[in-house]
Amino acid sequence: MSDLLNIGRTGLAASKKALETTGHNIANANTDGYSRQKVQQTTNVPITKSGLIHGTGVRVTGVNRVHDQFVEKRLRDSTSENEYFQSRADNLRQVEEIFNEIDNGGLNQVLNRFFNSFRDLANQPENETIRSVVRDNAKLVIKDFNRIRTTLDQLSRNIDNSMERTVGDINQKIKEIATLNRKIAELEAMHGETGDLRDQRDLAIKALSKIVKIHTYEDEKGNFNVAAKGVGTLVTAANVVPLRFGTQGIDQSSNGMDGSGEIFYEGRPSTPITSGFMKGSLSATTEVRNKDIKNLRENIDQIAYDFINSVNAIHKRGYVNREIQTDESGNPVSSFDAQGPVTGINFFKIPTSIKNAALNIDMSDDVKSDLSNIATALSPNSSGDNRVALAISKIQHERFMEGGQSTIEENFLKTVGKVGLESGKAQLDAEQSEGILAQVTNVKERISGVSIDEEAANMVKFQHVYEAAAKVMQTADEMFKTVINIKR
Amino acid sequence: MTRVSENSQHASMQFALNKAKNRLENLQLKGATLRSMTKPSDNPVSNVESMQLTSSMNDNKQYVRNGNFALMHLNVTEKSLDELTNILTKAKELAIAQSSDFYNEDVRKNVSKEVSQLRNLALSIANKRIGQKYIFSGYKTLKQPFDSSGNYHGDKGNITLEVAKDFFVPVNIDGHSVFFSETESSSYEPSPLKNFPQMNKSRPDGEQFEDTEIEPSRDLASVDEANPANQGYEKRENIFALLDNLVSGLENNEPKVVQGLLEKFDTAISRLITLRTKVGSITNSVETTMSNIESENIDQAARKSSLVDADIAEIFSDLTRQQEVLKTTYKSTQGMLNQTLLDFLR
Repeated sequence: MSDLLNIGRTGLAASKKALETTGHNIANANTDGYSRQKVQQTTNVPITKSGLIHGTGVRVTGVNRVHDQFVEKRLRDSTSENEYFQSRADNLRQVEEIFNEIDNGGLNQVLNRFFNSFRDLANQPENETIRSVVRDNAKLVIKDFNRIRTTLDQLSRNIDNSMERTVGDINQKIKEIATLNRKIAELEAMHGETGDLRDQRDLAIKALSKIVKIHTYEDEKGNFNVAAKGVGTLVTAANVVPLRFGTQGIDQSSNGMDGSGEIFYEGRPSTPITSGFMKGSLSATTEVRNKDIKNLRENIDQIAYDFINSVNAIHKRGYVNREIQTDESGNPVSSFDAQGPVTGINFFKIPTSIKNAALNIDMSDDVKSDLSNIATALSPNSSGDNRVALAISKIQHERFMEGGQSTIEENFLKTVGKVGLESGKAQLDAEQSEGILAQVTNVKERISGVSIDEEAANMVKFQHVYEAAAKVMQTADEMFKTVINIKR
Repeated sequence: MTRVSENSQHASMQFALNKAKNRLENLQLKGATLRSMTKPSDNPVSNVESMQLTSSMNDNKQYVRNGNFALMHLNVTEKSLDELTNILTKAKELAIAQSSDFYNEDVRKNVSKEVSQLRNLALSIANKRIGQKYIFSGYKTLKQPFDSSGNYHGDKGNITLEVAKDFFVPVNIDGHSVFFSETESSSYEPSPLKNFPQMNKSRPDGEQFEDTEIEPSRDLASVDEANPANQGYEKRENIFALLDNLVSGLENNEPKVVQGLLEKFDTAISRLITLRTKVGSITNSVETTMSNIESENIDQAARKSSLVDADIAEIFSDLTRQQEVLKTTYKSTQGMLNQTLLDFLR
């Protein structure tokens, strides 16, 4: 009879534990990264008494979380992938906005206006007012080249700043993981329940894999390791390998800009690992910085350089719009007059190099200071000669870029087209990877997520078992009473 | 059977809602801007094409301006030539009348006054201006082309304007060919830049452009007034000399001299008529080109609109449909949310 009481007691305890777990599940239904838990129970060791085998009730062996580590890994990888495309799309959208000319004018229209103002000047080469219009349009061209270049540079700098914050984030996350590793190891040494801590660790790793693609493994000593794919170990058991952010000079920088941000392991600033990271938001931003923006910058510089030089090459051949002293045969007596040179004048300042040509573009001092220095005539003292102005306006349709392949406009449009395509592709990839991520999340939540309905049903079930077990004890109690009452 | 958990249900719901709302937002943006694209990535190819069209349309606008400008020039030139022809015809009529012995010396004296007046008229036409520009002085548009004795100070510069892409027309006739003698010039210029010194191509290696010495082209600033031999020749041939000779012939009462001038008047008049024909044909081609450009503009505007502008009917029907979709999504989620087994366990 004491057996019966005991069996009832184990049933009561097991049901209570199951109900507790159900409560824990319901309480955490909305906790991020929580995996539902399940009570593992088994029959108690049976005993043999007077030749019969007796059951001795139920025993709780543990509370486990329902978890599939392969799904978890897939979720991590899809998170990295999605973050990569999402962040790439976000960054490229900012870049393409620079070249958005759908509703307002951009470089293409400004350049077009510049060339057309030279056509206007060709109509009336004597006209001072049109010369000032030409100069104003040249100013707009300069401003727009500057705008594009400085905005691109600004985006690069912004990415540098976000990299610095990201490195801080990574360091914090890996510290968190290391701490969790230590706690889990300690608890497991005492055979404690570690499901909740493991959930937290998975959550931290998932957060980390938003930034970089992560690989985790347990080594032969049972240490839990976290490594960034393409770079190396970040966490070994309770130890972290922190990252540091620093800036590089123009010679070592990976994007051709002075003071560009680089990432390296603490204490090893000479070996930057910036470009080693794979997927995640970090590699997306560095890739945009080191490839897309860098290429665009070089492209715009090339366009500015070729534009400046082709305009100058023609403009230099012209004569100023002033009375020039000539000799008998009509040649100028001197190549200078009181207002400066009469021919060979550059319209734009000669760029020192292709690099930064779009940033440093400016009108020459001669053109800035005196409108009559804008040359239209191919022969001196010919106020109506418009051949230089015509030739400059024809640069618009001259295929001289890329070794005679394209006009300035075609080259620029190609650049814009490429930006649009890249950005569109990234948006499409982002949308697709978001779908995949949603699917994997769904799979994970189906396995590990809490279902209130299920818990409710379980609650009813466990409650009934609890009641029944209590009844068993009551019965045992009554049986005791019956036996005791015999004596009366 | 697949398990459904609270979170998986929530995640799929969120995904579906997000997608529906995203589409709606996109359509709403299109409906608000009435553009089928708002950023290059919406349709990179169309974006580039529309940019190309924009600059081509701007170019065309400029070409129309150029065309109008050319027309004004050509019309003034044609009118001047017309007046000049009238003057010469008048002078010729007088010369014919005076070439016989019918009139006496006094009459001839009086007629000579009239002819010298005609000469002054011719000179004023020769120095005609549009705004500040002299139309008969070649490139030297700010310099008075003819002095009072009829010497030419302009050059033989041929000003051309681009009235359509790569289509250049001359808009002036230099004073030399009008008043002095016929010069070889065709009415169509392939391009004034054909003889332009080779453009320096930009060099990728960043090397500097060498400074080439530029020789002013000699054949342009060319009427060499300094050469006395030249001057004498022109004196005989040019319109002012013709009128001068007539005046002096009449003053000196020499009908033979007047008679000898008649043929020269005919050559001069026929030369002017040839020039007028030339100007007329240029005017014609400019007008044709301009109307071509205008119809091209309409085509391009239509093409651009089809690329950039949204199809309003399509957008709004899509918008309504998408709103329905969203409403249905809300309704279907309503059934799932806020209801659990617990509501039915009593």
